[in-house]
Amino acid sequence: MAFISSGYDPAKPMKDRITDIGPRYYEEFYPPIIKKNKGKWLYHEILEPGIIERVAESGDKLYVIRVGGCRLMSISHIREIMEIADKYCDGYVRWTTRNNVEFMVPDSKDKAMALKDDLLSRKQPGGCYKFPIGGTGASISNIVHTQGWIHCHTPATDASGTVKATLDVLFDQWENMKLPAKLRVSMACCLNMCGAVHCSDIAILGYHRKPPMIDAEYIDKMCEIPLAVAACPTGAIKPAKYELPDGTKVNSVSVNEPRCMFCGNCYTMCPSMPLADTEGDGIVLMAGGKISNRIDAPKFSKVVVAFIPNEQPRWPTMTTTIKRMVDTYSADANKYERLGQWAERIGWEKFFEKCELEFTHHLIDDFRDPAYYTWRQTSNFKFT
Amino acid sequence: MVEFKHKTPMIDELETGPWTSFVTDIKREHESRMENPKGIDFQTPQKCCDDLLGVLELSYKHGRTHWKHGGIVGVFGYGGGVIGRYCDQPEMFPAVAHFHTLRINQPMGHFYDTKFLESLMELWERRGSGLTNMHGSTGDIIFIGCTTVQLEEIFYEMTHNLNQDLGGSGSNLRTPSDCMGESMCEFACYDTQEICYQLTMEYQDELHRPAFPYKFKFKFDGCPNCCVASIARSDISFIGTWRDDIRIDQEAVKAYVGGEIKPNAGAHASRDWGAFDIQKEVIGLCPTQCMSWDGNKLEINTPECTRCMHCINVMPRALRHGLDTGASLLFGAKAPILDGAQMATLGVPFIKIESPYDEIKEKVIEPIWDWWMEEGKNRERLGELIKRQGMQKLLEVTGFKAIPQMIQEPRSNPYVFWREDEVPGGFKRDINEFRKYHQR
Amino acid sequence: MGEEEDKQTILETLQKKKGKSKFYLKDFYKMLPDMKARAVKNLVNKMVGEGTLEYWSSGSTTLIGLKGVGKQAHTEED
Repeated sequence: MAFISSGYDPAKPMKDRITDIGPRYYEEFYPPIIKKNKGKWLYHEILEPGIIERVAESGDKLYVIRVGGCRLMSISHIREIMEIADKYCDGYVRWTTRNNVEFMVPDSKDKAMALKDDLLSRKQPGGCYKFPIGGTGASISNIVHTQGWIHCHTPATDASGTVKATLDVLFDQWENMKLPAKLRVSMACCLNMCGAVHCSDIAILGYHRKPPMIDAEYIDKMCEIPLAVAACPTGAIKPAKYELPDGTKVNSVSVNEPRCMFCGNCYTMCPSMPLADTEGDGIVLMAGGKISNRIDAPKFSKVVVAFIPNEQPRWPTMTTTIKRMVDTYSADANKYERLGQWAERIGWEKFFEKCELEFTHHLIDDFRDPAYYTWRQTSNFKFT
Repeated sequence: MVEFKHKTPMIDELETGPWTSFVTDIKREHESRMENPKGIDFQTPQKCCDDLLGVLELSYKHGRTHWKHGGIVGVFGYGGGVIGRYCDQPEMFPAVAHFHTLRINQPMGHFYDTKFLESLMELWERRGSGLTNMHGSTGDIIFIGCTTVQLEEIFYEMTHNLNQDLGGSGSNLRTPSDCMGESMCEFACYDTQEICYQLTMEYQDELHRPAFPYKFKFKFDGCPNCCVASIARSDISFIGTWRDDIRIDQEAVKAYVGGEIKPNAGAHASRDWGAFDIQKEVIGLCPTQCMSWDGNKLEINTPECTRCMHCINVMPRALRHGLDTGASLLFGAKAPILDGAQMATLGVPFIKIESPYDEIKEKVIEPIWDWWMEEGKNRERLGELIKRQGMQKLLEVTGFKAIPQMIQEPRSNPYVFWREDEVPGGFKRDINEFRKYHQR
Repeated sequence: MGEEEDKQTILETLQKKKGKSKFYLKDFYKMLPDMKARAVKNLVNKMVGEGTLEYWSSGSTTLIGLKGVGKQAHTEED
């Protein structure tokens, strides 16, 4: 491997430097049918799961095939997507906000159906679909997620793996539209939620349960203690002196453990404060959130399972619990009712009963002011 | 046969089942790099995908991550766009010892042509790991994994040859993102792509160089269905809406009632829900009960409608949003860290979304930024500042008049902190004058 | 005060700080109390562009300090 210069000169970083040019202009990448009909679409219809017909005022028709994508995607896979887009879609393709890929076939339904067959015939060596079709209408669309163990420094679980395991179990709900309404599952691998999962029908959240360890002998050499102190959002970290076994006194920190919320922000600033732990780390499940304003206001997801241990590689307790929630909701909710709307209609006490979820004290909010508004201030409740 | 250095029995379990396997996909990239039919002189170690699988397997074995954060790496003069990553077992996995991430500002709506995609792929194959996220949570194209020296090289090639810039991270304006909007969706009430692009370009300095106490996000949803989740995760959420009547095609309504058109655009087709019942499924579920159906004509009492989209979603061929369109602006959404999650709060019930967006820039965005830059504490999101200083302060800053649309209900305590200029005569009074009528 | 003096104020203040090399943007506002926040921001970013200051990003937040100073500076070099 020989280094090949792009033309950049490290000694003169400002030479010929181009900055602040932003993204490419999106219109370059519109297929001609979209350029022509933008803002003049009349209606759409889901012909079958994953295949949408979009009809414009001009009479033009666009067939869109939605396939699931791993958010983590190799360029070999993307090149296969490009090859398909060249063959069927005049070289255009788009991604959705949920990591799905949409192939857009202008005018010809026959061509779209040929594309469908082609997509489903492409499989990975282990038998997985390369391009699973679905995710439209009253189904479970792709699970948006974060990096997890593949590339993040504060995850409490893996992201791609939990998502793969969950989508395998829920696959029938991906490729069919049998649910009362759409159901959105999201995954974030720690409480910082760089994937905002807090308004999902079901959220999978990685969670640490142990405060950071302190590498006292090294912390003052590797980190700036004031920064580690300042990183803590709850003020649990204070400077402290520490005596090594040989009697030397070193500068270190102390952690007020009951105040730690396990966010890992100190580890971000200071590698001498790792918090990952095999037994401590695992999964929180949340449920009942939504972002749409349809019928009622958007809602936050609520914690319904405080902790499930990490059971890699396939997290069976987690996926079984999620499937039970989905199946119970599917059987019990009214048409158009989102999971959270259903839970509110029947009452959360009934939700726990029907979904066979154990209620523990961890599920009662005790975090700051908003907690009070989640307790019950009426004598109206249901016996379970 | 391409060889794999690491045995990966645990993650190999993720190579079966119907859903696409990311493990198989990473292996595919390793094979492609080792076979290297084009004879590429890889600038990030050739075996990085193999080592990445090894790191992941080790994490599956330990139940713990093996990555550390690095904060200094970046491209010169930019505060965002690069996230530093170092492996905590560099001797075992030398090809991913330094494995940094780049955020690339995505084209709006995530539309691509294969020519542009190939130029990105060619660059990332040669200089990076060949692994991406399409796309990251904020919307950027993510290039996962390259060595430190490659960061500037990639940036140089990208800006010089691809006319393409990085996205935001850190205390910057984050890469704005949008839903597909008018490009393909009949529900869109404004051109989400155009405003997203124009504001991205207008605020390039804020996007690349830290300007704020913390992150700041714009997101653009074309309608109240909120496919890009702006209401839950952006400091300024733009949600398309309209002020006039929903357009009704009475013949199409009858076709839905008669079962000729599938309800909700066919979204429920895999299950037998029985015949479509407009009374139960549309009129009865309307949250404001502003609709009526007499068997022949559908009527909507527009002043009562809150534009929730339910009826339009159920009967898209019969109902279309009005023509007097614009957006509602909501402020201050965020994920739970730290003080709990916040949904965005309605601060501008209706505003026209028309290029060059001067009113939005001058009356909304810039005054809010000035306020937040002066008053916001370190790592305090806009939503938390609004909570701390009050919604009245937000209105004072933007100059929009308080109207009942902005709240769910009026306050239930009378503790109004009246300002001196709101009370006739002000606060300064003459105690001696008072004493003429009141004994001590 | 001129720009050069303002830059000098920033550099001197940073050099005086012991045990901490990275600062929030707001900390710079305090160094130049008579300047508008936006102007301080622009000056700090300019100094980064000139190579006297550098950014440090946690991913979610950005800190700023003297270039090459700090305990992590050497561990992050190649």
